[in-house]
This record gives sequence, C-alpha cells and structure tokens, in this order.
Amino acid sequence: MAKAPSGSERNARPVRPNSTGASAPRAPKNQSKQSGPSKQSGPSKQSGPSKQSGQGGQSRPARQPGQPRPAMARRNTPPPASGIAGFRKRHPMVAALVPVALVVLAVVALVVVKATGGSGGTPPASKATAGGSAATSAGTSALAGGVLADVTSVSPTTLSAIGEPSATTAPMATGAKAALTASNGKPEILFVGAEYCPFCAAERWSVVQALSRFGTFSGLSATHSSTSDVYPNTQTFSFYGATYTSTSLDFTSVELETNQASGDSYTTLQTLTSAEDALFSKYDKAPYTTQPGSIPFLDIDNKYIRVGAGYSPQVLQGLSLQQIAAQLNDKNSTVAIAIDGEANRIAAAITAATGVQPGSSTATTAAGS
Amino acid sequence: MPHWITITTLGLSLLAVGLTAYLTVTHYTDPTALACPDTGIVNCTAVTTSTWSVILGVPVALIGLLWAIGMTALTSPWAWRSSARWPDAARLALSGAGALMVCYLVYVELFRVDAICLWCTGVHLTTVALFGVILAARASLAPRASRASNASGARGASGASGASSARSLAP
Repeated sequence: MAKAPSGSERNARPVRPNSTGASAPRAPKNQSKQSGPSKQSGPSKQSGPSKQSGQGGQSRPARQPGQPRPAMARRNTPPPASGIAGFRKRHPMVAALVPVALVVLAVVALVVVKATGGSGGTPPASKATAGGSAATSAGTSALAGGVLADVTSVSPTTLSAIGEPSATTAPMATGAKAALTASNGKPEILFVGAEYCPFCAAERWSVVQALSRFGTFSGLSATHSSTSDVYPNTQTFSFYGATYTSTSLDFTSVELETNQASGDSYTTLQTLTSAEDALFSKYDKAPYTTQPGSIPFLDIDNKYIRVGAGYSPQVLQGLSLQQIAAQLNDKNSTVAIAIDGEANRIAAAITAATGVQPGSSTATTAAGS
Repeated sequence: MPHWITITTLGLSLLAVGLTAYLTVTHYTDPTALACPDTGIVNCTAVTTSTWSVILGVPVALIGLLWAIGMTALTSPWAWRSSARWPDAARLALSGAGALMVCYLVYVELFRVDAICLWCTGVHLTTVALFGVILAARASLAPRASRASNASGARGASGASGASSARSLAP
C-alpha cells in the first residue's frame, strides 16, 4: 500500500486490454478471492510475477484469454501463510480495520469504567440528608487562639510554591451566564455541608483560607467530623454562627446537621431555603458529581461548582486543629499542599467568576446564622 | 481510484473542518454560546472551558481545526491520485494520531471534566470514521496495486511494450 496505490492502479489500467497473449496479468477472480492477491502476485513479498509470468519459469507458455489457468500454476502457488501474516493475507480488510476496532474498544472501555463508578482525582463526598428544623450545635467548641491566624497568614511565597496541585481537579465551570447575586448585590458563594461530614471538614479549611483572602471571618467555632464515619474525628471549623465580611463578596453557609448522632442520622442544624435548595438540586448532580445530593457543595457565583472535598481527609487524620494550622506555612508539608492547594483553586475560581482580586475586604456581609 | 474513497474521506474531512471551526470560533468569542444542551452529563461549556481545553497554550479546538485542514488536503482527489509515497504515509499517520487523540480526549471528558461535549463527540466520531475509511481504502487498493504491479512486471519481462508501466510502478 505504501507504493502509491492510486498511481499503481492508474498505470495498471492500460495493461488489461493490451495483455492479450503476452502474459498472465491477472489471476481469475475466484482464485484471487480464495487465496489473496498478494500471495499470488505480490512482487515485493515473493517472486510471484516473474515466476508465474515466465521470467523465472521459462518453460511455461503464454496463456490465451479465456484459457483456463494451467494446473502447474496452481502447483507453483506457495502454500498459504499461517498466523498473523496468513490472516492478513486472507482477510486484508478485516486486518486493516483492527486499529479502528482497538480505538473503539478503548473508548467503550472508558465509558464502561465511567458508568460502573470510576472517578477522577476528586475524593467522594458524604451524602447530604437535608431537612428538619433548626437545632443546637452541641458538637462545637470555641476555636483555640492562633488557629485562625495561622490559616489566614500563610505567606504568598508558600502559596505560590504550592500552586494548584495536579493531583486534584479544579472546581468545574458551569457555563452559566447568570451570576448568583446576594440581596446586597454582591456575588454570592454558597457552602452546604454538615458537621458530621469528614469531607466537609477537609474542605472547610480551604474555604476559610480562600475566602479570607477576600474578606474576614469572625465567630468561627471548632468542631470535628463524626467519630463513627469514615475519616473519623477530622478536626475542622464550623460555619454555624460565623460571620464573613467583605466589600466584594457575600458568603452563605448552611450546616445541615451536627456531629451528634440521632437515631440513624445526626441532629439537624440548619435547612436550605427554597432558593438554596433549587441551586443544590440544579448543580449537585452530574456532571459536577457522580453522587447527586452530596456534600460538601460549594457554589461560586453559579460559575464554578465544587462537590466533594478537593483532597482526601486522610491527610488530616490524627491531627489536632493546632497541629494542622501550624503546618500551613510549610510548602513541603502534605497538609499544607492539600489545604493551601485547594484554597488556591477556590480563590482562582472566585477571581475568575467574579473578577474580584484577593486582598479586598472590610464591608460587612452576614454569613451562616 | 474508486470514487467512494475520495468522496467519503473528503466529506468526513470537510465535516471535521466545519465542526472544529465552530468550536474554535466559540472558544475565541463566547464559549458559553455553544448550541448544546445542559442536561447532566452533557455540558459542552464545562468541557470547552476546562483546564484541559488548552494544550501548551494552544486551544484543543484550534489543534483540531488545523488537523482537519491537513486531512482535507490529504484526502483531496489530487492527493489520492498522487503517485508519491508521502501523501499515503501522511494520511495514515495523521488519521492515526487523530484516533489516538480521541481516546485521550474521551478520557479527559469522562474522568477529569465529568462532562461530555456533543460537538466534540461529533469531531471524535468523524475522526475515527475517517481513520477507518482510510485503512479500508488502503486494504482495498493494495490488491489492485499488487495485481497491477504483477501485470506490469510480466509485461516488462516479456516485451518492450510493458516497459513504461513497469517503470511507473517502481517505488
């Protein structure tokens, strides 16, 4: 085939009418189909042409048109090749399409893996169980001094060195044209989580750090994820009762449940408003997550969505609030790479969605109540 | 040269040009303006605005457009009629590279972006189809070339009248 098929065919055409009696230019069609033309006549693979047409086999006379092929020609035909080469000669079209079949199989395999639960780099999230009336937050405590300062004072050098880790994915763009605007006209960021949820616990560290680049938190309390769930007792903040102030952004948080067991579930803490529930229903599903209705759920101005944690809560296992906070300025720390890296991603998404640059703050906006 | 080969490959290449041109234009103007439903897993904007929509600073849509233009040139009637070897090799290489790129992009869509872009899928299907037709064309033309080569070789050996054919078929 590499021998310019079209040119070969074009040049070959005149041969047919002129071939009367001079040689045996073509094998009978039925023979060609049975054993493959290249076996019969391929000059590059065998000495077929010369042997069959007389150059090498001097004793064979020229054959007239319509005259049956002499039996000797069939005897001189090499035996069929075996194995892959034989298959290629017997079924050239099928063999040629094998690469296409491989491509199709690869794509089908990807789809099957995806359909059966394969996931990307973002860890899974806990399942949200919204609903119910307000309750107390029995699982929280006062935040130890210095923890929030450690989170919000990570040096730009460290943040720049960590960047956005390639092991995790960024919040997904929604492509929505309409922004999520708070009643005060500012771009809104909505967080939905629960205190029992270990993935929410992990994500809060990064949300607090990222939002602190655009404003200021106050009233944050300390809490931990459920002691009986996966990644038990992951130390974190609670947004319940906290306030966020910023000149440019509005932050709303909803902590659906505490970390206090109540029957088969946990005590209800807050509920979604109808507007928040509509956003939750609209975006907390594919393609933003493979587990619809999961938390944590982060909606950045309706332009970017993050469902699930940006890193695994495993990173924080066994560490106290103070121990976690103390590592955030160490660019080589696994904890810092996870938390600061996810914070970098969230901050970048906020800037991309709203145009607000890190560093602006001061005016007051109510947060989770 | 069978007409179906020229018509099919050129048609698929032109279709790829159209699809990738649309994706490229929207990439540089308004990626959210893609005519594409937003129904769960189908979300063109999520794909075309994702981190993976650019490779080494070059939009994937633009890479696809350049590829499609190249394939159009290589599947033109003039390219198919060329007796030179390189158009055939380039056709095979470029279409094969396109098929491999499809595998990568489907992986990115399914596992990194978690969304499918219908326009991109159209390009993917066109690319794989083009690769298949080119391979099928090579397989269907190979016997002709062999037979013609055989016949010409025989004529060259048996008389002067076959010399021109034998010469033109030489690699």
